[in-house]
Amino acid sequence: MTALLNVEELCFEQRAKHNWFNQRSGFTLSPISFELNSGETLAIVGENGSGKSLLGKLLVGAEKPKSGKIFLNGQKLSSHNIKQRCLNIRMVFQHSNESLNPGITVSKILEEPLLLNTQLNTAQRLNKIVETLKMVGLLTEHMYFYRHMLSDGQRQRLALAKALILDPQVIVADEPFAALDPSVRSQTINLIMQLQKDLGLGFIFISHNLGIVRHISDRALILKQGQLVETGKTEVIFNWPKDKYTEKLVTSHQSLIAPK
Amino acid sequence: MALLDIKNLTLEIEGSNGWMKALDKVSMRVEEGEIRALVGESGSGKSLIVRSIVGAIPENFRITADRMTWKGKDLLTMSDMERRLIMRSDITVIFQNPLLSLDPCATLGEQLMESIPGDLVKAQWFWQRAKSRRQMAIKLLHKVGIKDHRKYLKAYPHQIADDIGQKFLIACALVSSPKLLIADDPTRGMEITTKIQVLKLLSRLNETRGLTILFVSHDLLAISSMASRMTVLYCGQTVEDGKMHQLRKRPLHPYTKALLDSAPSFRKDLPPKSPLAALDGTIPTLQHLPIGCRLGPRCPRAQKECVKTPELRHVQDHFYSCHFPLIRDKQ
Repeated sequence: MTALLNVEELCFEQRAKHNWFNQRSGFTLSPISFELNSGETLAIVGENGSGKSLLGKLLVGAEKPKSGKIFLNGQKLSSHNIKQRCLNIRMVFQHSNESLNPGITVSKILEEPLLLNTQLNTAQRLNKIVETLKMVGLLTEHMYFYRHMLSDGQRQRLALAKALILDPQVIVADEPFAALDPSVRSQTINLIMQLQKDLGLGFIFISHNLGIVRHISDRALILKQGQLVETGKTEVIFNWPKDKYTEKLVTSHQSLIAPK
Repeated sequence: MALLDIKNLTLEIEGSNGWMKALDKVSMRVEEGEIRALVGESGSGKSLIVRSIVGAIPENFRITADRMTWKGKDLLTMSDMERRLIMRSDITVIFQNPLLSLDPCATLGEQLMESIPGDLVKAQWFWQRAKSRRQMAIKLLHKVGIKDHRKYLKAYPHQIADDIGQKFLIACALVSSPKLLIADDPTRGMEITTKIQVLKLLSRLNETRGLTILFVSHDLLAISSMASRMTVLYCGQTVEDGKMHQLRKRPLHPYTKALLDSAPSFRKDLPPKSPLAALDGTIPTLQHLPIGCRLGPRCPRAQKECVKTPELRHVQDHFYSCHFPLIRDKQ
């Protein structure tokens, strides 16, 4: 059986900037390979500026890699076939608030990807929107709402609905919980885990909250300054970290939990 | 004697339908030399408390309190000048987004040297004064653990990392050697290694200089690693107040329990991928506050009596306000 998403030797190099303050060469992402099966969660962990978000962007096609291949169900994704990628790999952004257009209603926001990527007619589109809203736990009436009328948790649900509406196979989420309050955060985590179970989604989760990573992910990928440090089962990484950097992350996390 | 003593602080904001209580009878005592945590989600009024302590409240807000004292002196009745003197010498605040609260067009060195008040500089002539200011600034930077002062004094805010920015703000706050440091969500949006550095710095300051810290945040992980006592807020009401380890071991209020449960790291027995315990619904907005206990509509244990505001009760020094606390029923 082929894996849902197979990434081989993905490489990225940013062109060197010549400005007076930083004379360093451009950012490079070392060759990264991993596999993702359906229904599995892969967490990408690392410091700020370690290339986590960049890897996410490479996967959804917002940035072009220097070399390397991405296979979806054994099929190679090319930069010419944007539609194939749009339909199957969707992204949830960190700031759900800023990624929603404040000037149009929720139904318009959700309709846009359908208009661009599918041949559905108006009635079918409406149907699909209602269905998706219900799936993420919003009401049909929310269709007529604007962004500012929704609460934080509802916005996050809407961002998720925007990703889910094209029935993707992989969702890339860039820090989806960072801006949420604790009680709303657990709701969203539950929702994502439920959806994953129901729809068999592959879920790539970029975060630096190790507690949540440990709870929801099957495998983890540790990045440091664009270099792949360690990869493996989450349990194994957390209990027996091999690399020094991973160990530092895990012990600092443990030291926070341990009572004073 | 308590350093800061607040009893029944109520803050009202005038809206379209009358006065709304943004803070409803909040009580808090900060003892000398402790690290006190103030926990609450967004919109729970944490920042309003901070602002009413330092007196940065707009004129059209109505603020009343039975008691709001700083070392026995009433903050609400004293003159503006007196209050400003206290704020300058004894209380300092660091804000949540370090890089945004710095001036983007001045170097860090200029900003830090500017914040040193004139009467702390001992030298007489202007060239001596400038030199001594610079030396004080360097000393402060070393104190908060920034070693490469030459580089950072010349840097602009956009050139430095998050944690350096936060340490720098702490250095600014320490200029007048305050008694109380109010840290308003200092670790927000930081990754774990930088977060730990900032937390360690704060606890070290607490130990070595006896600095009292009021740590305002919603990050329970950060709080539990350093605070000794914790006050939990929900929608402007004090929910629970007590020693950190007591609260963590046995929370009495359903909301505190929900907060603790929402952090999966605290629970070792939790199997991976199992659903987390969560309260339904979201935080109500200020215009649609429920009457009585404001957790009412979301609370799993709510009953008819919950439309009356529960009074603050206590078991020893563990305060809670709930009609149906999570105590095993006495039989």
